[in-house]
Amino acid sequence: MFHIAKRERFIITFLIPTFIFFSVFTLYPIVRGMHISLFDWSGSSEFMTYVGVQNFVDMLHDPIVWTAIKNDYSLVLGKVIGIMILATFFAVAITRFRLRGTGFFRMIFFMPNIISAVVIGVLWRFIYNPNIGFLNAILSLFTKQPIRTPWLGQEDTALWSILWPSIWAGVGFYFLLLMAAILSVPTSLYEAAEIDGATQSRQFWSITVPLIWEQMKISILHIVMTTLNGSFVMVWIMTEGGPDNSTQVMGSYLYQMGFRQYHMGYASAIGVLILFMSLITTLIFQRLLRRDEVQLS
Amino acid sequence: MYPSQPRFSRHILKALSLILLVVWSVAVLYPLIWTGLGALKDNSQFMLGKPWAFPRSPWLWSNFSNVWNQYHFGQYFINSIVVTAISSLLAILLSATTAYVLARFPFRGSQILYYFYLSAMMIPMILGLIPLFFLLNDLNLINKLSGLIIVYTAWALPFSIFVMVSFFKTLPKELEEAAYIDGAGYYRTFFDVMLPLARSGLISIGIMNALNTWNEYIMGMVFVNDPVKYTIPVGIAVMQAEMQYRTEWGPLFAGLLMSMLPVIIVYMLFQRHIVAGVTAGAVK
Repeated sequence: MFHIAKRERFIITFLIPTFIFFSVFTLYPIVRGMHISLFDWSGSSEFMTYVGVQNFVDMLHDPIVWTAIKNDYSLVLGKVIGIMILATFFAVAITRFRLRGTGFFRMIFFMPNIISAVVIGVLWRFIYNPNIGFLNAILSLFTKQPIRTPWLGQEDTALWSILWPSIWAGVGFYFLLLMAAILSVPTSLYEAAEIDGATQSRQFWSITVPLIWEQMKISILHIVMTTLNGSFVMVWIMTEGGPDNSTQVMGSYLYQMGFRQYHMGYASAIGVLILFMSLITTLIFQRLLRRDEVQLS
Repeated sequence: MYPSQPRFSRHILKALSLILLVVWSVAVLYPLIWTGLGALKDNSQFMLGKPWAFPRSPWLWSNFSNVWNQYHFGQYFINSIVVTAISSLLAILLSATTAYVLARFPFRGSQILYYFYLSAMMIPMILGLIPLFFLLNDLNLINKLSGLIIVYTAWALPFSIFVMVSFFKTLPKELEEAAYIDGAGYYRTFFDVMLPLARSGLISIGIMNALNTWNEYIMGMVFVNDPVKYTIPVGIAVMQAEMQYRTEWGPLFAGLLMSMLPVIIVYMLFQRHIVAGVTAGAVK
């Protein structure tokens, strides 16, 4: 009896501090954010008017919201396609051809993943800089007139110019995940295929893809989720959503509405939309990517 | 006996793969090297239109002292180090205790609690940004490093708990039982036996959380408006925004380089731990 009481006291003292801390500084803000989305509020406490779902109705009529949604999903698609192709290719190349210098490539490829999005954003702003940037200088080598394209300053190139550094910064991580998955495939399968005369591409589609599908699925879902929840840092650093809101994503628009224009209710409603978008999109992708599980007999 | 045709094409494929791997390595490394070159240049060299050029001698090492003193990067460094160190240690303590209980002392609802923490990893942090700002304001924690420390600690918990639960589950039960038989209580057993055993897991989450905190920008910007309290990412963003009014590219590049270097050095030293920590979160 005494022993059990001691055990319970131990459990409680180990759980409670963490639980309280987490509840106050993570759970409460999220629930409170959903609550604020039902109000019209500038941030000063006197004037907080309940407006029901009005903020959500307003969002339907806000063209910037639609631009932001479109941009979010463009980034999701671009990143999923770009990162998965590059990461899969590199992972297959290194594991299947048993190239030398695996450790070297692994170390280099992962490096951008540990650098702050701010540093990456600022760095790439300078690569794209119309006057002193690297990109225009390289392109100018092939033209008579020096090129002065403001990559981030014009609407038709700005979002693409944000997409590329996001891919650049993301590949290494998924490359590592996929490489680990491929290394766990028994080599005997490849040896058997080799004897049967299967080409490399046949081996890739019939052995590698089915057996690492689970890991590919996880990678894609992870890209989708992190992009919808976190791509705004890169956007904010590189363009602040401009020019003329053309690169706005939901996260950057939330920040602008909340902390630049003090529409706290509306900004919170955007936050709720981000939450639903990311949950629903992850679910849909999960459905789309479902495939019969391959079991090794 | 292989037919010669696939053999030949295999060699081509192999060579092509190697070339592409090298190209990507250059694509990754070059922007970083370019930053290093730029950090030693003056403005006139930036305007030459040859960004790949080597910095002219004498190299402008003064860019570094300039950004360290005039742009207060020295202060930002101290702020970032304080915030990162304390919040990483706090997160280790708060997550290891909960994770240990969840892994070893199942009770009614322990599964629910586990998934409760786990599901928080899917919630976009930005949804809580506005309420968190007003909460910190009410608690008088705005513009304070302690406010940032608290927020970063809370932010790190779900991932840390998730990793540590699976880590504690892999540890053998015999050592704990031996400790109990020797008369050690639950607390002694945890701190003297289990924590040392879990060291490599703790290092992994510690480094992961430290990296995330060191690199974090949005919360650092929203919750701190006092330049004396800026962390490095906020300092860099502010400095680059100022470039619209005065152009000092050399110092900015020096600042970028200085903020990257500690991270890259830590990465070189703890590569295995970092890779293990980063991949652990996504495997779920």
